[in-house]
This record gives sequence, structure tokens and C-alpha cells, in this order.
Amino acid sequence: MADGSKTKTFIVTRFDPDRHEAPTTETYEVPVRERWKVLDALNYIKDELDPTLSHRWSCRMAVCGSCGMNVNGEPKLTCKTSLAEYGDTVRVEPLANFPVVRDLVVELDGFMDKFRAVKPWIIKAKERAVEEGPHRQSPEELEVFRQFSMCINCMLCYAACPVVANEPEFLGPAAIALGHRYNEDSRDEGARERNRIFRGEGTIFSCSYANECSEVCPKHVDPAAAINQAKFRAVLDWAASFVTSGPREE
Amino acid sequence: MAHPQAMQPARPPRTRTARPKAPDYLRPRMLSYLLFDATGIVYLLAGLVVLRAVFALASGPAAWQAFVADLHHPGYVAFHLLTFVSAVFVGVRFFRLFPKAQPARIGPLRPPPRPLIHAMLYAVWIAVTAFVVAAMVGVIP
Amino acid sequence: MRKLLLQLEPVIWLLFGQGILIGTLLLTGWGLVLGVLLPLGMVPEEALSYDRALRVGGSLLGRLVLLGLAALPLWKEAHHLRSLSIDFGGAERDVWIAPLLYAIAALGSLLALVAVFRIPFPG
Repeated sequence: MADGSKTKTFIVTRFDPDRHEAPTTETYEVPVRERWKVLDALNYIKDELDPTLSHRWSCRMAVCGSCGMNVNGEPKLTCKTSLAEYGDTVRVEPLANFPVVRDLVVELDGFMDKFRAVKPWIIKAKERAVEEGPHRQSPEELEVFRQFSMCINCMLCYAACPVVANEPEFLGPAAIALGHRYNEDSRDEGARERNRIFRGEGTIFSCSYANECSEVCPKHVDPAAAINQAKFRAVLDWAASFVTSGPREE
Repeated sequence: MAHPQAMQPARPPRTRTARPKAPDYLRPRMLSYLLFDATGIVYLLAGLVVLRAVFALASGPAAWQAFVADLHHPGYVAFHLLTFVSAVFVGVRFFRLFPKAQPARIGPLRPPPRPLIHAMLYAVWIAVTAFVVAAMVGVIP
Repeated sequence: MRKLLLQLEPVIWLLFGQGILIGTLLLTGWGLVLGVLLPLGMVPEEALSYDRALRVGGSLLGRLVLLGLAALPLWKEAHHLRSLSIDFGGAERDVWIAPLLYAIAALGSLLALVAVFRIPFPG
């Protein structure tokens, strides 16, 4: 085209609970420019073609985790995914494995429940008094868990995981990785409590080594590594629990 | 389709939601994963063949000869070829995961660097395979 | 039943881990000999004779290897077939599939243990 753009066809999921029984699709022809990401095309659709389209996005630079969607069957951050990777037809769907609220927007409260369940905060047997000063942590101690603290809660890992698809109770990659991050934090004393949660209804042992979570993670958190390290730790903790009780146990 | 309750919140959402869609099982990475699980069938049958071998050995020469004769049957040979291929496939996939599944520290013990664990696993694999082959083929008297 | 399964998960996982690690290490050689070397005629008749099998398989190491070869793959199998069942929408039937698969593995392991003891001691 004269302005340097070419047209791509976007097949976008649409769902309005007041009007549709189930999700349908709508097709849009979008003149895409060089270096556009999928998000740019979605914003063009909303601005120029169909203002009724609903989709989440915010930072445009892959740090907020808002814009996760399934693009051609693969969970992606749409602000980070270049259209040059795709041919003339691009399919955009809401994240897999999540209930769909509207169009490309999914219900996230299920994740929030799992997130809260792993107690993602520093747990101490006895709270440190202000006069005692801050916790001290060496760079080596930080390095043990730093990778797992990089999660932006974009939930691409949940969309990719076959166990999340089939076992509603499973805690899921991001929640387990975060719980493991706290278990490995030298300041934390809550591993006994968290490991009991890991062995409970949301059992981390349901993870079946698909490694899909780590394949799709945009921040290289490697949740598969976290989950499998956590399994080992949970087994050690299980054995230890027959002998000792945890710091906050009665 | 995914499970109807997949990622469902504890409190029902304010509006009606559409049922979650499952990930695409036909993508190459997913097919590889399903194959990985499916090798369970091969391992089951292989374990049962070895069980038969052990029972035959315990029962006496006649049972053992019958077992060895069956091993030459094209069906058995094809199955064992499949067993070999499955074991290699499982090993490669599993060894890719094993190094990163080691916790950072257990007490004072730290795991070796991941590439070293990887190399050690392959070395052990080759050594054990060579040993088993040598034992079965007669190199070990 | 689900509570029992959850409580046994750590043990099941350990057995599965060994099944996949040691089971794979041993099965590779077993499959290579019987699936590749045998049809290529590289396994002498003598090697698989009863006397030799008794000598090699009846040794302490031989019995341990045979036990590992027979029992450990069953645990890998049980866990993976359970995953496969779940992957195909089997969350509800897991409550009877899991105990069934693990029971088969346990039974097979027990039989393997019995059989390994029943190999006559040479000499």
C-alpha cells in the first residue's frame, strides 16, 4: 500500500453475555504498519472499525501483564508480539483455560484465589520489632529466588498448562512459583505452612512435566523449574514433618 | 474444551461467563508432551515382558526356552525397538528437566552447575546401557 | 479416596521419579539388545541360554537389575497414564483411575519381588 502498510485479516473472538449464547468470531481487515504488534492492530480495530471490542492492555511494554491473549493458538503478550511473525490471517482469542467475561476479557478472580492460597508474603514465627532493624540478605541468598520473583502475573502460563485445563483445583504455575519464591527467601519462615498447602487440594504433584508454562513465560521466570524444585522440597518437608513441627505450629 | 470449572473463582462472577477453552493439543510441543505421557503404555508392557522373563527363569529351562523363542518373533522385536525408541525419547525429555528441578540448596549441599548435571546424566545413561548390553549379549561371561 | 491419594502423593512421586530415571536407564539397553541387536544377528545363541541367564540373572546384581527393570517402569507408566487420562478431560474419573493404575504398579512390583526370589540360586 502507498503508506507502507499491508492488510492482514484478524479473526477475533466476540462474546457479549447479554446477546450471545456462546462466543463467536468477527473478521476485520486491518492495514498494519511495519513494526506493529498485535495490540496495535486491536487498538486500530477498536478506534477505527468497531468501538464495541473489549480488550485489556496498559503499559505497552510487557511489564504489567494485562494484555495476555491466545494468538493463533499460543498464549502471548499482545504488546510484545510482532505482527511480522504471522501470515495474512491472525486469530486472536481470549486466554485459554479462563472463563470469558466479554470478547477478549477473561475472569481473573479464580487466579486471585489460588494466588492468595499460597500465602505470598514473608511469614515469620515472631514478627521482627522495628528497633531490630531491617532483615539482612546477601546477594547469594537473593540469587536463590530472584528469578521466581520476576513474575508479572500475566497468566500466559495458566493458559498454556494442560493440567490447569483439566484439574480445577490445581494451584497452577504462577501461584506455585510464587509460593516457592517465598519458601526459598532467607527471610521467610513459612515453608512448613506453604508445603502443607502444596500437598493439599491444589496439589503441586498434579504437574505432569509439560513444561508449557516455561515455554510461554515472557519474563523467563521458568515456573516449571520452580514447581519441580517445590515438589522435592515438599517431599523433604513431608518427611521432616513426622519428626519436627514448624515455627508457627501449635 | 477445558474443564467447565477451570479457573473458576470461589465466588460466582457478576456476569455470566463463557466456558473456558482448552489449549490447542495439536501444536507440535503439545503433541510431544502427549507422546511423552503415552510412552507409559510401552513402559507397562515392557515391565510385563521382564516380569515374564523373571518368572520363566524361576520356572526352569523349558519355560525359559519358550520365552527366548518368543523374543525372536517379529512382534516382540518390533515392540522392543519401540521400547528402545521410547526410552531414548523419555530420557532426552526428562534429562532436559532434571537439572533445573534440583533445589538451590539442601542444608550445606549445593547441586553442581546445570550443564555438568546434564553431562553426568548422559554419561551415566551411556554407561548403564553399555553394561546392560554387555551383560545380555555375552561380553560379560 | 482423594484424601488418601493426596496423602500418598509424596511416596508415589518418589517411586515415579525412580521409575522414570532408573527405569529409563535400564530399559534403553534392554530395548537396544532385543529390538536392534537381536534381529541384526548380533546376539549369540549362547548368550541367552538358560545356564548363562541363570548365572547372570541369578547373581545379586542381576536380581536387582531384573527387579528394577520389571517394577520401576510400572510406576512411571501408572503416573503417566493417569496424566494422559486427566489431559483428556478425566478429572472426575481420576478418583478410580489413579488407584487402579497405582494398584497395578504395586501388584506388578510385588510379583517382581516374588519372582526375583524364586530364581534358583546357581551352584
